Amino acid sequence: MADTETSPPTNVLIVGVGGQGVIMVSKVLAALCQLHGLQVKQSEVHGMAKRGGSVFSHVRFGAQVWSPIIPHGETDILVALEWSEGLRWLDAMRRDSGTFIADTQQIVPPIAFRDRRPGARSGYAPQSPAAVLEMVGTGFALDATRVAAGLGNTRIANTVLLGALSTALPFPVEGWISVLRDFVPPHTVAVNLKAFQAGRDWVESGSRPAEEAARPAGARVAVAARGHRLEITEAWCKGCDICVKMCPERCLRLDERGLAELANPAACTGCRVCEWLCPDFAVRVLDGLGQPVA
Amino acid sequence: MDTLSLDTFDIRAYLREDLLPHFMCPGCGHGIALRALLWAVHERGIPKDRLAVVCGIGCSGRVGAYIDANTYHTTHGRPLAFATGLALARPDLEVVVITGDGDCLAIGGNHLIHACRRNLNMTCLMLNNEIYGMTGGQVSPTTGGGRLTSTTPYGNAEPTFDACALAIAAGAGFVGRGMTLQLPALKTLIGEGLAHPGFSFIEAISDCTEIFGRKNDLGSAPEIILRQKSGMRPDTYGNIVDRPFQAKAMRIGVLGRNDRPEYGAAYRAAVAARIAP
Repeated sequence: MADTETSPPTNVLIVGVGGQGVIMVSKVLAALCQLHGLQVKQSEVHGMAKRGGSVFSHVRFGAQVWSPIIPHGETDILVALEWSEGLRWLDAMRRDSGTFIADTQQIVPPIAFRDRRPGARSGYAPQSPAAVLEMVGTGFALDATRVAAGLGNTRIANTVLLGALSTALPFPVEGWISVLRDFVPPHTVAVNLKAFQAGRDWVESGSRPAEEAARPAGARVAVAARGHRLEITEAWCKGCDICVKMCPERCLRLDERGLAELANPAACTGCRVCEWLCPDFAVRVLDGLGQPVA
Repeated sequence: MDTLSLDTFDIRAYLREDLLPHFMCPGCGHGIALRALLWAVHERGIPKDRLAVVCGIGCSGRVGAYIDANTYHTTHGRPLAFATGLALARPDLEVVVITGDGDCLAIGGNHLIHACRRNLNMTCLMLNNEIYGMTGGQVSPTTGGGRLTSTTPYGNAEPTFDACALAIAAGAGFVGRGMTLQLPALKTLIGEGLAHPGFSFIEAISDCTEIFGRKNDLGSAPEIILRQKSGMRPDTYGNIVDRPFQAKAMRIGVLGRNDRPEYGAAYRAAVAARIAP
């Protein structure tokens, strides 16, 4: 930590993909450093990255910070909100003393599927968390998204990682909590504080890398009273509620996971409004033989 | 079931299923518009090898990536320019351009008017969600008066473009507007556009639930899509500042036909006349 004006600043690089909250993590850290009277400089690249593209944010703090850009290979702490983004920036870290904190959650970009044949290998980074942790000085690979899902909201995975980050920096925990409380929307304060604590607990309990996250289930077929079938591909359903509200018979509902299901097969007339208006192609109306109808 | 047609359309035959679920937000209307396009392609009996889809940049630009046909992801605002070259060089292809309101009217506005003027045989499907969704929710040429976006934090004061009026004035061969809420009607409209020998411009009213809808407090995805019918867009087109653009309500359906000569055929005839003795 920079105590004198001559010591170099501490460099934290936060990376992820658009929509995960990279900027939020860096803003909380920057605000906290300001509270402690340190100079902070933050710079980021975002924009076209909205929803799915690469985002990174440099945060540098210390008694005196001149440049907002971290020199290559001098990152003290690398926080990755997405697994392959973490690997992309590994060589920005200090080789010996750097700390690597990553979510093992994989957000696979379409470019990883150049080969469109069924069952083809994807081009996503094949390195396992264990192999990557071997390469870095101090490494933490946690399935923050699953931890966040356990708390009821996958969007707070960034706060789980913020909790893990807080253990790697010498600021008292009360400061983190008060900045976080001011920063997040009021109705999400409670769940964000829980997520923050879950991230700290995970590091302190010395957990090992999480296993591969399970993909959601495939298609669920319900047979309706008139002989046709309603097929809902759960892996594609995003729970937008359109089919539920547009169904003239009101026979669909969202289940406890927020996915569409046929709640009242007796009422379904097979009118296909749900299929037509599903933006995610998750609903299909099949005839009695399992063939799609027009 | 006697009410069900025997002519089967399964959209999955036209999709790259390994790329799904697609990257669009929950409730985004672009998926519905894509279904309308593929349904129209199916009804017209266009083989996938003969279908060429050209996309620009933005949420609309990513729509084409999920189609299992010849697809072409081009630069921001320029899909019409790329498609012009493609349609001239390969008149055997059915060229479809998928573009967004910002891509087509702001960044590629110049290309749009000249594509309309040339009347080259292709179909331009403009997905109008009133905002630049992917790049961060900036105001677009079709954003309604008073709407909040990331670049109009005090409400949009810019006049709104009527894209169909622009296309008609520029001389497009076939101009229509449909909404994703009325999928079969939009499908029929796109089918007519594909059939028209000339430049067809179709505006599909789509929705941005996460960025535009949330910022403007428009409610959940079903509420937003229902508003297409009940006042959201008429308000958009009615509350505009400039009189010449003003309309009482948004008109739906076929808005213009113009049976001018198709440019590709005229060009090839001119070349042949010059080369032949």
